[in-house]
Amino acid sequence: MDPLSESGMRTPHNGAVVQRRSKTRSYRQSYRSCLGTASRLGVTPALTARRLNASRRAAKPQNLADKVNPEHLALLVKAEWQLSYVTPLYQFRHTQLRSYSRQLAAFIVAEKQQGLAVEVSELHNSYRVSLSVVQGLTESEDDAETVLIQIHSKPMFARQDEPQRSVWSGWLTCVHGSPEYLRSLPKDFTCLPLFGSRGPEYLSRVVKSWFQKTFDCCFGSLEINHTSLQWFAALWTDCHSQSHIQHLRMLWTIPAAPPLQITYTVDPQDAWDLWNSVRKEATAAVTEDAASIDLEEVTGFLQALKSHFYRHFRLDLSAGTLQQVSTALGSAKSSGRIKMSNSRHVIATLTLLTECALLRMPI
Amino acid sequence: MAETLCLSDSDRSSSSDQSVPSRSNNRSLRIAEKERKKNEAEDSFVLALRYFSEGSSPCVRVLKCLIPASVVPQQAVVRAVVWLNVSKIPISTQVLFIKWVLTVFDLIDAKDQLRAIYGFIFSFITEENLCPYICHLLYLLTRKENVHLYRVRKLLELQSKLGRQPFLMHLLSLYKVFCPELVTLSIPSRIRSGFKNYISPWKSALVAVQKSNGQQVSSSISAAFTIKEKSISRKRKHCHLDLPALSSVLNKEPQSEQTSRRKMVPLVHLSSFAQMLKDMHRIELPAQMGSLLGSSLALQYLDCVQEESALLRLNFWLGCALHEEFLFCRQTSEEALQFLNNLLSAQHFLQEGFSSSDAFLYKFLNVWDGSLLRPQILGLLSNIPVIPSTQIGRLLFEPLTQLFFTSSMFFKCGLMECLNNMLLKWLTWHSVYALEDDLDISLNSHTSINITLSGFKDSVMELVHFVGRLASLGLQLEGCNTLLLSFILDFYETVCDTFLKFGLPLVVMPPPGVFYPALLATDPVSVDRLAYIMHRYKLNLTSAKSQEKQTEPQQAFHISRHTFRQFNHYLVFMVNCLWNCRMFHANTDMHVREELLHKSNVPQYWTRFDFIHHPAFTGYAVDFHQKCWPGKKDVDVNSIKQSKPWSWYLEYLFNQGFDGLKDFVHSSISRQVTAGDKLQDSQQR
Repeated sequence: MDPLSESGMRTPHNGAVVQRRSKTRSYRQSYRSCLGTASRLGVTPALTARRLNASRRAAKPQNLADKVNPEHLALLVKAEWQLSYVTPLYQFRHTQLRSYSRQLAAFIVAEKQQGLAVEVSELHNSYRVSLSVVQGLTESEDDAETVLIQIHSKPMFARQDEPQRSVWSGWLTCVHGSPEYLRSLPKDFTCLPLFGSRGPEYLSRVVKSWFQKTFDCCFGSLEINHTSLQWFAALWTDCHSQSHIQHLRMLWTIPAAPPLQITYTVDPQDAWDLWNSVRKEATAAVTEDAASIDLEEVTGFLQALKSHFYRHFRLDLSAGTLQQVSTALGSAKSSGRIKMSNSRHVIATLTLLTECALLRMPI
Repeated sequence: MAETLCLSDSDRSSSSDQSVPSRSNNRSLRIAEKERKKNEAEDSFVLALRYFSEGSSPCVRVLKCLIPASVVPQQAVVRAVVWLNVSKIPISTQVLFIKWVLTVFDLIDAKDQLRAIYGFIFSFITEENLCPYICHLLYLLTRKENVHLYRVRKLLELQSKLGRQPFLMHLLSLYKVFCPELVTLSIPSRIRSGFKNYISPWKSALVAVQKSNGQQVSSSISAAFTIKEKSISRKRKHCHLDLPALSSVLNKEPQSEQTSRRKMVPLVHLSSFAQMLKDMHRIELPAQMGSLLGSSLALQYLDCVQEESALLRLNFWLGCALHEEFLFCRQTSEEALQFLNNLLSAQHFLQEGFSSSDAFLYKFLNVWDGSLLRPQILGLLSNIPVIPSTQIGRLLFEPLTQLFFTSSMFFKCGLMECLNNMLLKWLTWHSVYALEDDLDISLNSHTSINITLSGFKDSVMELVHFVGRLASLGLQLEGCNTLLLSFILDFYETVCDTFLKFGLPLVVMPPPGVFYPALLATDPVSVDRLAYIMHRYKLNLTSAKSQEKQTEPQQAFHISRHTFRQFNHYLVFMVNCLWNCRMFHANTDMHVREELLHKSNVPQYWTRFDFIHHPAFTGYAVDFHQKCWPGKKDVDVNSIKQSKPWSWYLEYLFNQGFDGLKDFVHSSISRQVTAGDKLQDSQQR
């Protein structure tokens, strides 16, 4: 169904596969293997823990409309997505999407029928699945192209002529994935660590289970932790000069009895001023290019917001947890829900989330 | 009753034909197997269900315990349904029975006869209490030919009486799917949730029984691959803990010319080790590598597979399951236990850990409370491969130290055992590979993280010193608990033999905090084991010494003077204490002031820890005394000290099974030469 040609898609094949095979059991290699660069039964145990980047470039607004199919872009920015992380897909080919679409549709029907004691013929044509590539949504050449999954269906007792409508959609993406990690994977693997979905839970389950069975990968829920939420607050505020953020709204929960929920909304200009005051070299940063943001500045910004709140209400927000951050550019919830409202900042958001997803990789 | 049971053969075969369209041989084998089980099971089920005809309270209790191990014979269910009609049975029991049928529905071996009495079952629908459950049962049994206008009418009539009940709606919606022309009623496109009529404790008991049964089957050698029955509960909470089913790959890659000429054999199709050997070169890996963990045959294959991708896939799956289920949310369920036990037995089988489980453990140790799934976690921990000495502190020692000092004595013992196993595995691994290649490995350095022999030695040394620290403090904290001491001595039995048993030129002595508590222990077993350990140390050191003299100086492994000194020191003290009655002799590291010893009013305090007075041996001394001089009324154990009785007494002790003492005495004490001279000799080295 997708008009896009499938010829230009690429699954990154990186030549620089790290040498960590141990073909023969020699003392030498075994010593190495024992150490973890390679083991016969596995690779790279995380002897050194990966951490979230402590510094990142300021989100440069990008006009994605030039690079990305506007239809796809509209789909991405409209909705709120439930996030998961995915381990690398084994033998996933961007050129096989059409065949995958058919298989997934058949799989959904089969799963549906398991619930029924009988064969229902209507089910067979009730689902239409399309997998397509969202071209242009990559930042480095190690990133694999984003894949969009859409499921269309008719309600069970609908009239014959009723049109199918989109009931579920999801995507798999990798934006600015850590090159060391991506390059360390053998070429059979495609790393699309971030999975977003929208629609009925049972369809999400079925789609995940099909991916698991077909590409031998695993899914796990991706919560957005405290630090990442703080990053979002800072990154979005930082964009205020380019696109108006309307407000900076944060939702805190305080462990009191009864539990206390606090919505803390900051005027965009005030937030912007505060942010500029905590920025090191705030004046130099105007030069745009060299603008990188440090975690220190981010925590400083949040600390300032908290102390401001304390001055007014005598309540220290440090005791609570940040649950949600939202601006006109988007919203992020600790439960792993994300909404990107402005297409110009999609890349920055997805970069941060890709990083979070890669951190959850078991090895 | 008899009529309902009498089904024509044609009816039966036709319906079974429908349910088995065209499956592989596996399926028919399975059916044959079921047939056999069925016959065994049937009698007992029928017997149990016969209680229905009585309908008394034991009936309920019997029913509640009726958890099928494999399948439920259809015959039994049909008969019981028929007995339902006998009005003697209280309605609550009837409900319970239908709930039972719903719970075990998937395990009923065939449904044809049940379908044949569809109308009979339908007649119960008018019974108000039974109605929801009967509807559910009918929902599971309904076929197109069962949908009739009079049944639809009956349901609609009930609906007008009872209101729009979900169970009626569900059944009606199914009827509508089959015969839209009969059901004109509009049904909302999404009816809220399905039937929820089974009882969850039953369900979980059922799952547990079925699972343990499955375990038994897969552990037997003949059935290497068990075809997984579709699990009854569709929606599992702990989805990560289920091993994926072995299935072959769907998307066959267009292979290169070479490989496509070979016909690949999916691992699923192999049923014996011999077959696997035959097809070794053309085995196709399953779609999900995690499935390999469930079968020993597959593990055998995995052991030979050197394909990086395959191992990586397995590790991704395993790591993800471990992280999701144990790190991000704590698990204590039966399933979690089963999962870890499976993993452990797989690792045991392969004699190697999986790197994803190592990576998981390094993180998990920081959040572990030390009691959650302790045996399993410690088991996994003992499989951890050698960690470079620069990392070992952060990854292992820091979290373990915290756990050790904040946990119970039993945890301390468990950890000691675990660390002993870990050391054993490291050393075994070294001895295997050191034999294969020559020892000149320090030259190899093409990756920065390469471990050399000296690096390996460093790691082992770190581990041994770490355990030494834990053991000293642990013994203090637990008041030299005998059990803990025993686990610690286990560890040192491994340590003292590193050179002779494992060929690693490294000897590390136990710290004073372990040596003295063991020597002065009140139980003879500890003292005996310490003697054995000292004896082995001596053999290792002498052997290392002689080898050191032979080898080239630059290659030589050097055992530090300090180790020899420490050993001699311990040996002198031990001999002085047990043999020479010179316990508080000068230049030992037990400095007790003379005045203090006098103040204690212990007579002849220097003899208090010889073989006769040592608290661990006094009992033996008294016993020996009585045996030696049966007539004597007053026991004077000092009389054993005389030359003759002394050697008899030693003989007597050795006969009690104190082989460690025997070895120690024979190797370290020469009775002609005085012990002191002998030790001078060893000190000169």
